[in-house]
Amino acid sequence: MVPGVFKSTTGLFLLCFFILAVVTAPVIGAAPTRYGGTLVLSVTSDPRSFNPILAKETSTTTMTGHMFEGLTTMDPFTLKVIPNLAERWEADKSGLIWTFHLRRGLCWSDGVPLTAADVVFTFNDLIFNDEVPSSARDIFTVEGKPLRVDAVDPLTVRFTLPALFAPFLRSLGQEILPRHALEKAVRDKKFTFTWGINAKLSDIVGSGPYRLKEYQPGRRVVFSANPYYWKKDADGGVLPYIPRIEYVIVPGMDVELLKFIEGSIDVYTMRGMDYPLLKPQEASKGFTVYDLGPDLGTSFITFNQNPGINTANGKPFVAPYKRAWFSDVRFRRAVAHLVDKKRIIEIVKNGMGYPQDSPESPAAGFFYCGDVRKYDYSLEAARGLLAEMGCADKNNDGILEDAEGRPLEFNLYTNADNTERVDAAAIIRSDLERAGMKVNLQLVEFNTLVAKLTSTCDWDAVILGLTGGIDPHFGQNVWRSSGQLHMWHPRQQAPATAWEKRIDDIFTAGVKEFDEGKRKSLYDEYQKIVVEELPVIYTALGARLVAVKNRFGNLKPSPFGGVLHNIEEIYVK
Amino acid sequence: MALLVVMSAVTFMLMRLTPGNFLDTLRLDPQISKDTLAYYTRLYQLDAPAWQQYLHWLAGLFRGEWGYSFYYNVPVAQIIGPRLVNTFILSLAAFLVTWMAAIPLGIWAALNRGNGRDRALQCAAYAVISLPGFFVAMILLFMAAVTGCLPLGGIESPGAGELPFIARMIDMARHLVIPVTALSLGSIAVLQKLMRGNMLEVLGRQYIFAARARGIPEDRVIYVHALRNAINPIITLLGYEFASLLSGAALMEIITSWPGLGSMMLTAVRAKDIYLVMAGMMMGGVLFVAGNLMADIALAKADPRIKIG
Repeated sequence: MVPGVFKSTTGLFLLCFFILAVVTAPVIGAAPTRYGGTLVLSVTSDPRSFNPILAKETSTTTMTGHMFEGLTTMDPFTLKVIPNLAERWEADKSGLIWTFHLRRGLCWSDGVPLTAADVVFTFNDLIFNDEVPSSARDIFTVEGKPLRVDAVDPLTVRFTLPALFAPFLRSLGQEILPRHALEKAVRDKKFTFTWGINAKLSDIVGSGPYRLKEYQPGRRVVFSANPYYWKKDADGGVLPYIPRIEYVIVPGMDVELLKFIEGSIDVYTMRGMDYPLLKPQEASKGFTVYDLGPDLGTSFITFNQNPGINTANGKPFVAPYKRAWFSDVRFRRAVAHLVDKKRIIEIVKNGMGYPQDSPESPAAGFFYCGDVRKYDYSLEAARGLLAEMGCADKNNDGILEDAEGRPLEFNLYTNADNTERVDAAAIIRSDLERAGMKVNLQLVEFNTLVAKLTSTCDWDAVILGLTGGIDPHFGQNVWRSSGQLHMWHPRQQAPATAWEKRIDDIFTAGVKEFDEGKRKSLYDEYQKIVVEELPVIYTALGARLVAVKNRFGNLKPSPFGGVLHNIEEIYVK
Repeated sequence: MALLVVMSAVTFMLMRLTPGNFLDTLRLDPQISKDTLAYYTRLYQLDAPAWQQYLHWLAGLFRGEWGYSFYYNVPVAQIIGPRLVNTFILSLAAFLVTWMAAIPLGIWAALNRGNGRDRALQCAAYAVISLPGFFVAMILLFMAAVTGCLPLGGIESPGAGELPFIARMIDMARHLVIPVTALSLGSIAVLQKLMRGNMLEVLGRQYIFAARARGIPEDRVIYVHALRNAINPIITLLGYEFASLLSGAALMEIITSWPGLGSMMLTAVRAKDIYLVMAGMMMGGVLFVAGNLMADIALAKADPRIKIG
């Protein structure tokens, strides 16, 4: 009885599926059309909002990214700033006043025209509104002052900067929001609760290629083409080609991988460990693996050099004798010589990775400086440096002692939930121990690690990663000596060392320098100093691997934009 | 009621005792300033003492406000609603399958007592009882991955939203096969044993002899006179079974990516979304209590000797 029912339900299901397939298949015989089909993608968690101003993490920004656009955008290949909603712009001589000209005939996805008033609203009423929590405010606040935004006429916007701010153009990728749809919410002080995941989807009005059609918590998010989208193809036809995008919500990457192999999703962002599994199946399962180059983020080990004292118990954050090692550059260089990047890439990333030398990832393109000091993996070099510090195994227990006879022993923390990081930590630890240090690997909860780094400061060494961006300026919270994330010695009143002072100066100068060449040489200098002084010691970056089914045309994968940056032009073959 | 309050207090304390709060991921973002973090801390009252937060939440509960999810930035109730429905679908399906399989199996085994068929069934039952449910789920998932005959977890196939209603139900039924099998297999094994035992005990009673002696047809003796009495103690289990299924489904939901309360709770605990965790716990607690209540009522109905009072 039970198998019988099962068989017939499968049959019925297949029949339905077949009908669906016939209905949605492109009409064969007529002129080949690029319109039609569905792109099935996946996310590993539910979106947390559909409000791009409040969006903070990727499951949300992936969604809002399809629906909203900014005045400028970045060329996914050259990383140059190119026009988007604004078709051109000019700056006055001082570099403080910028005038942007919007494209003619722009419309929101409900048909209402998009004008300069919307741009002014986005900045003045949302980003610079004290009642709206927005990470964009930190970006557009220059020397503590907001920039001024005025509408000159419906198609012209003028920005007045309080001081020179070089990352300005690039930052204007900031999504513009519709005034007519949000004005009331702002007036009623309800903006923070607007366009949440409980919103009526037709109320969410954007300017991007897609608009929201359906959201089923824990199941799916569906987008449909925005009929008012401004971009046209070469023949003047409307874009996007694919009328429907469906995001399947899956609980984790393992399920995502299975679903991709099963064939129910079209694109899978791979981990290094998936490579040996997926690569051999390329031909038989009909997909292609794209290697987009190194990640934008960073991965590193850092030592606590904080001389501060815990006010709660009067004890120093780090034992002074340990701090003496950690603040000795010879010690940090010895550690750098002991980080076996090749082995980390081989074991942790299955060979799909890149050694990282500089604080900027090679993925940052223009601003990346590869010409920095290199620390080859060398036990001898490390031993030499440690001996120079006066470290030797005086009591023959296999562990080095410093000049005062204290064993070189410290705790190395990392977060337990990141398996790649844990594996890398184990490799680094074994190499440090080969050179005669005693390393206690401590795996802790992510939140505990954050608390240690930002508030309690009671750690010796940490292996961690940070997200990165294209413009080095936005790393200032890490590199300025006063920064919150200046992990090895945060929130300094005045720079503790000469090189930290120099980096502070570079970041102050860099933000005011509009000449790209001069700007680059400044940021090159900071990268060289960091690698010379090694407050953080870089390990390896993963390769960004994406597997895509072979049923799409116009795919133009780029290291920066990924495979879907031109989603409006992609079509189903 | 008291049980629920104690449970909520303990959960709240545990959530507060574990280090960190939901702002921690933001703290490590180079683009977020100190002021922004302070702003959020004020907005969500993360700096208030634990007892004050708890009382605030408890008071809200009595006004019907479940609190606000930090993570999703909407009232908790709106997040729990759809997940609760999904959990309910899964639990109900598992529950029905369990009972509809176990009771007839138990009767059948009792009637075949001692012969080869009964022995084979009891043997299989022991084997199944010793297998943990999550393990069964994993084996089934593995088999589905190899053969491709069943979907690998989730609640629906991509594109299911476009299908007509019946096809959508069938699609969901296909996705239910693995979690339901894994959830109910163990309970079927246990329950049929209980049923078999009860049935055997009743069949040995004097009044069954009497009924047979009076010439009542054998079918009527078994299905009316014996069954009615044999099933009584099992009905008590009904409510507990259902309540424990609702909570026991959590693990299965996580394994088979069923978007129910269990998977939601896991995300919420990880993100330190304290009010969502609290609401999820309370929901589980309420269902458990309700299940027990249901069991008591069902028992009173089935056995007139028991009075509620």
